[in-house]
Amino acid sequence: MTTTLTQRYIAATVKSLSPAAQVDVRAELEASIADAIEGRVEQGEKREDAERTVLTELGDPTVLAAGYADRPLHLIGPRYYVTWWRLVKLLLMIVPVCVVGGVALGQTLSGAPIGTIIGQSIAAGLSSIVHVCFWVTLVFAVLERTGADMGLQWDVDQLPEPQPTGVGRADLIAQLVLLGLAAGAVLWDQFRGFVRTDGESLPLLSPELWPYLIALIGLEAVFVIVLYVRGRWSTALAVVNTALAVLFMSVVLTLLVRGQLFNPEFVEVFRAVSGVGQDTLRTLAVLLGFSVAGVSVWDIIDGWLKKHRDGR
Amino acid sequence: MDEGFEGHQQELRRGTIVLACLRLLRTAGYGYGLLQELERRGFTVDANTLYPLLRRLEKQGFLTSEWNTDETRPRKFYRTSPAGVRLAEMLTREWLALSDAIASLTDDSPTTPTDEER
Repeated sequence: MTTTLTQRYIAATVKSLSPAAQVDVRAELEASIADAIEGRVEQGEKREDAERTVLTELGDPTVLAAGYADRPLHLIGPRYYVTWWRLVKLLLMIVPVCVVGGVALGQTLSGAPIGTIIGQSIAAGLSSIVHVCFWVTLVFAVLERTGADMGLQWDVDQLPEPQPTGVGRADLIAQLVLLGLAAGAVLWDQFRGFVRTDGESLPLLSPELWPYLIALIGLEAVFVIVLYVRGRWSTALAVVNTALAVLFMSVVLTLLVRGQLFNPEFVEVFRAVSGVGQDTLRTLAVLLGFSVAGVSVWDIIDGWLKKHRDGR
Repeated sequence: MDEGFEGHQQELRRGTIVLACLRLLRTAGYGYGLLQELERRGFTVDANTLYPLLRRLEKQGFLTSEWNTDETRPRKFYRTSPAGVRLAEMLTREWLALSDAIASLTDDSPTTPTDEER
């Protein structure tokens, strides 16, 4: 005996139902479909055509089965969607950055060539994005199906607070004081010396650098004052902020890589006193480089975020 | 018909099928028969909506069911349970109240909202 369309349809519908429901649904569906076909045949339709029409009207058996089993036909419904989206956004802001930073640092410390460092970091970053999206979505899809209540309810206290963008008088003074301290430290290092050996001052930084560093600090101070006068972040200010950060980062990193940032005499003394090897020095330099890059990149992003907030 | 019309129309009709079933099934009926009866009385519903709905109402205790094997084709007959009758009464009251409320909207058609009814 050949299987009819109806038998195939019913088999496709009940196969995903629980064994207890299967028998019942099968018998009921058989009767309903037979009734419907008969009704059409009585009106003069051919049996095969009637069967086709009836089954077509019943639609996709998977959808029908979902109706019987009360299963959702979506991955994540309105109950969890907003929570899911917030969590994905939050994790995507944090995890890939940490992974890329971590892998880049690890590769650099292990002395990998620059191509490997970049390649490995990008690969790790991409795979972290995929992992974050996949696992978070999987958890929420399961929640949607088990119907667990997370007890998360929105209330007015969750409204985002207006975030200050740091253009007030207090911010101006604080930043100018910090810049002043930095300039003071550079000058003190140069002319008085933090390190003294045999009564002689020994600058930490390379002796010919200080005018440039003071100039950079001066530019930054000018920027802070202009920002205060303007009263709000603008695209132009964000661009200048980016330029300053890139300038600072590239100068420091270039000097660091060429070994011109620190006073060679100081490095010698430091090695002699602390007894650390070349490897440790290199590790310290890499860590310093990553810190400088991290701070600068954050400063750039921060500027654009503040511009975005003030633009509203 | 406008696409927008159809969506709103379906939304309005959705809940009425439950009420119609609960009231019709005070005398026992089976799937296809009920489908025909609903159609005849002017309720448009697809078979693939109705059949799962009957099972859901049964699971919630608003319908009871038994298999009738007297005829050549065994059929599952549904009947509204006491809880289902109470639900139907409540839904009917709601429906009438809504119907009154909507009628009051069309009866007085003021150009500006007034609070005379309060």
